Amino acid sequence: MAIILSEMDKAFISEIKERGGFDIHACVQCGKCAATCPLSLAGFPFYIKKLIHAIECGMREEIMEDSSMWACQSCNRCVEVCPQDVKPYEVLLALRRAAVRELSVPGNTIEGLRNLYKTGHAVYPKGYQARRKAVGLSEEPPSTLSFPEMLEQFQEFLRNSELNEVGLFPMKKEEKK
Amino acid sequence: MSKIGVYVCHCGENIAGAVDCKAVREYSESLPGVTVAREYLFMCSDPGQDIIKQDIKAGLVDRVVVAACTPRTHEAIFRKACEEGGINKYLCEMANVRDQDSWAHWHDKDGATLKARRLIRSAVAKANHLEPLMESSGDAIKSVVIVGGGVAGMFSALDLAEMGIKVYLVEKEPSIGGHMIKLDKTFPTMDCSACILTPKMVEVAQHPNIELLSYSEVESVAGHVGDFKVTVKKKARYVDFNTCTGCGVCTEVCPAKVKNDYNYNMDTRKAAYIQFPQAVPKKAQIDSANCLYFKSMAKTGKPACQICQKGIPAKNIAGCPANAINFGQKDEFIDLNVGAILLATGFKPMPKDPFKEYSPQSPNVVTAMEFERIISATGPTEGELKRPSDGNKPKSFAFVSCVGSRDKKHHTYCSKVCCMYMFKEARIVKEKYPDSEIYLFFIDVRTPGKDFDEFHTYCREMGMHVIKGSRVSAIDELPNGNLRVRGFDSDLGQAVEVEVDMAILATAIEPAAGTEEFARKFSLCQGAEGFLKEVHTKLYPVETSTKGVFLAGCIQGPKDIPESISQSRAAASAAAALLIPGKITFDPLISEVNADKCSGCGVCTPLCPYGAISMVGTNGDTRAQIESVLCTGCGVCAATCPSRAITLHGFSTEAVEAQIVTLARRYR
Amino acid sequence: MKKVGFFVGCNTAFNRPDNEAAVRYALPKLGVEIDNLDGQTCCPAFGTMPSIDDAAWAASSAWNLIIAEERGVDIVTTCGSCYGSLSESYHNLHAKPALKEKVNEQLAKIGKQYKGTSQVRLLVNYLHNEIGLDAIKQASVINLNGLKIAVQPGCHTIWPSKAYFEGESDAFHPARLRALVEALGGIAPSYSRLTDCCGMGAMRSASPERSMLLFKKKLETINTELAPDLIVTGCNSCLMQFDMSQDQLQKKGEIENVIPAMHIMQLLAICLGADPKQITAMSVQNMDEILNKICGVKI
Repeated sequence: MAIILSEMDKAFISEIKERGGFDIHACVQCGKCAATCPLSLAGFPFYIKKLIHAIECGMREEIMEDSSMWACQSCNRCVEVCPQDVKPYEVLLALRRAAVRELSVPGNTIEGLRNLYKTGHAVYPKGYQARRKAVGLSEEPPSTLSFPEMLEQFQEFLRNSELNEVGLFPMKKEEKK
Repeated sequence: MSKIGVYVCHCGENIAGAVDCKAVREYSESLPGVTVAREYLFMCSDPGQDIIKQDIKAGLVDRVVVAACTPRTHEAIFRKACEEGGINKYLCEMANVRDQDSWAHWHDKDGATLKARRLIRSAVAKANHLEPLMESSGDAIKSVVIVGGGVAGMFSALDLAEMGIKVYLVEKEPSIGGHMIKLDKTFPTMDCSACILTPKMVEVAQHPNIELLSYSEVESVAGHVGDFKVTVKKKARYVDFNTCTGCGVCTEVCPAKVKNDYNYNMDTRKAAYIQFPQAVPKKAQIDSANCLYFKSMAKTGKPACQICQKGIPAKNIAGCPANAINFGQKDEFIDLNVGAILLATGFKPMPKDPFKEYSPQSPNVVTAMEFERIISATGPTEGELKRPSDGNKPKSFAFVSCVGSRDKKHHTYCSKVCCMYMFKEARIVKEKYPDSEIYLFFIDVRTPGKDFDEFHTYCREMGMHVIKGSRVSAIDELPNGNLRVRGFDSDLGQAVEVEVDMAILATAIEPAAGTEEFARKFSLCQGAEGFLKEVHTKLYPVETSTKGVFLAGCIQGPKDIPESISQSRAAASAAAALLIPGKITFDPLISEVNADKCSGCGVCTPLCPYGAISMVGTNGDTRAQIESVLCTGCGVCAATCPSRAITLHGFSTEAVEAQIVTLARRYR
Repeated sequence: MKKVGFFVGCNTAFNRPDNEAAVRYALPKLGVEIDNLDGQTCCPAFGTMPSIDDAAWAASSAWNLIIAEERGVDIVTTCGSCYGSLSESYHNLHAKPALKEKVNEQLAKIGKQYKGTSQVRLLVNYLHNEIGLDAIKQASVINLNGLKIAVQPGCHTIWPSKAYFEGESDAFHPARLRALVEALGGIAPSYSRLTDCCGMGAMRSASPERSMLLFKKKLETINTELAPDLIVTGCNSCLMQFDMSQDQLQKKGEIENVIPAMHIMQLLAICLGADPKQITAMSVQNMDEILNKICGVKI
């Protein structure tokens, strides 16, 4: 069925602008980002060109229900080529921020953030100690994993940040790996 | 006691939308010297002007204040109305309550109304001090210098010449014809460009009223409208112009090969060359920067080569049969005295190098003008379709729009002609080689203009592939010299790519090289993008801020041949309208020195931007004198003079002081 | 002696510690001392803090930038994503004073301040610009003898170019990784999808099948145009894609051959004399054949 533009969420674009998509209105839909956007080439339903226009049309629900935005590679080729200086990647980040606040987030994103809080690393796979040892390195990297006081400080920083406001998971004080 | 009439214009909604005109009219009645205050919807209309005329004729007013829009466009109208009413036209003052009030304060109605009152109060205070002034006039020399021998310059030259006006057509290249003569065919008619232009080029060269100064440049400009002094440098060709027959022998025997920038470096020419076979004038010239004679003379003082002149007798090779070579020739400077100047210096296409995402290093990625030369019979391949990398005949083509146009990194404007010329070039190829595969990538397809959209749909019917919403993201160079063009087909909603033999980039049209320096010579403004500024894009598209200097063609902004010719003929008409009456009228709103008050300090002289002031007199008893025809009434001298000896007519010190006093008063 | 802060990130430290070992071997051989940037954390990854809030992102990067500042060193990293996240934060903090103020307000709560004195450098650029090709040639004990290599710079290493103070002069034709390979004696011809994304990253987590579409296209072009002996990446994430995913695709019959892959730091370490087996120990691919070729003797 036809999309009824007059019934779309007109305030959506203002929210996206506030969250970092400042130059979204500069987009004239020329398409230069689209042919080399990995999302577009890999066949995702909402690549950045389409997302921008959909935001302008106010299609909040449709966009939030779709997970394409979480597959963006952050490659920044769109930013590099855009002739209008829209910085499309920043629009996409703004969109993710809006989605997070609606708790519309994929599982592995939450897991990454949890790992970040617990350990200081977003990626935290099992068995790394053995791998490191096998190549003659210390079992723990010189990160917060080797410096617990700094991990505590980092965790305090995260507790004071927007991450805590968003409330995706509880951020307790004595959280050990 | 003056009798001032105040006329408050609503300007439709433009003023009345923010200013309470009724209240302002009422307020005006109370001002000193005001005998009548009226309001009307459009004061500039016939009935509006009649109101003023009637009041004057009835003896109710002898000075007029019109509170309306901008004097830039309307002062002349109201001055004329006053004159027709029976008072001196300089007893008329405008208060700009539109641009400077209602438009600027649209959302503050109270503030805008109060400001209107103050602006009118100020105008009335000045009106009390106005004096009747008389225009002066000067001779208008009935000749024009046209700078630029492209299509715009040529057509304006022909019109002016036909009207009996002497034209000096100055062209910096050895031949006239500009960019148009480089094209193969022209849209929308698909006329062969050379076929329609060369007869005109010949007409220009042969017209008794046109003096063609080719291979020449404007050196300096002085004077004013009606009487410009233009010095032109005729560059040395090192070939005697009158003796040279254009036979071409020198070009054949010359040993020095140079990259031919006429064909965008896609082939070579000789140091002694004729620009192209249909050049007008068809004369040879020697490029001294690359000529072995000149290079060796500069290095060692001995001539290494004079083959064009002397031939190679040992091999029975003859040199110039007309004995026209003259290595000792010098640049010649001539002074021209003309009434008006018309600038038609055209454009330059952007090169492909800045666009790294489009593989500019590949020789098979070319600009549209380069492609035009390839398909042109007078081009580097003599019209044979050969691709630069290997000379093979290309069978597939991609045309890429908006390269450097509509782009904040390069030029924000649309270059206007590209959508049409992309189709045109594609059509030329498709008509000759029907089995060519042609892909045209556009953001939008912009084909307004007469017969343009039919051209576009005809091309689609020929089977060309049109991809829209698709600014090309990247062009990859493939190992076999082919190009992979990557775009996004918005109609399919999908990324697309094509492998083609050649990619043609529609690069942006920029103002001709050297425009900034050139503009300074004529005291002209450039727009943000570098094109010369017209007075008003709608009302005065061919006039510039310097009276007597006109514009035509792409120097004013990107445009196609039909528009260039229209504009050039409009410019010719405007220049003729100025010159044919024989006299130029000068505004009396200029500065004048009161010699009695002048102390001879000389402070004013270097301040005048127009060089209009000189110190005259004898033996230390000098006084400043202003050349009235050069004075534009800027007022710098009047404001600076420590003795208050200079009056800027129409803006006397008493008038300005009265304005300041009344504006500073605290009553509302 | 030059000194740099080595930012190890997550994937390099946990999944490809052999690449970390390569860095720890190679830099001292080239006269560069390594500072461990004790207490470093995630860059942070694009799927984490950047997707939450822009000030929180910049502040999280600043955590790492401050460690480097306090130690008076610039940061070097092997991973394009780390380079990208840290550089973009650096760029934003310097270009937007209001952001910097907001970030310092957040950092003040843990007693830290961001000043901005340490740069973020990708190892490819550091090697090319700071150490120089001649010094690398001089220090090498192995010459690649014309080994044909397809380079994969990786998206983040080249764009957004305005965020990278020592970015390539032509971002669409990155030349540095090729120059490094050639300095080691290899040949690194260009190929037509050199700057295309390999598919590793958020997309691989969100949809492995779609990620493989991009990756297969990349492999197809590399095979058709170059048929190289080796793939060398400038980014640790690209390394993981080339190393792990070719095997998977081959098992499914979607590709025929597998080209061995390593990071430029691993190749450099080998050419400087490191134990080639150890320095590629975490490869999923079998590296024996290529290592034999490079080292000239049976491993």
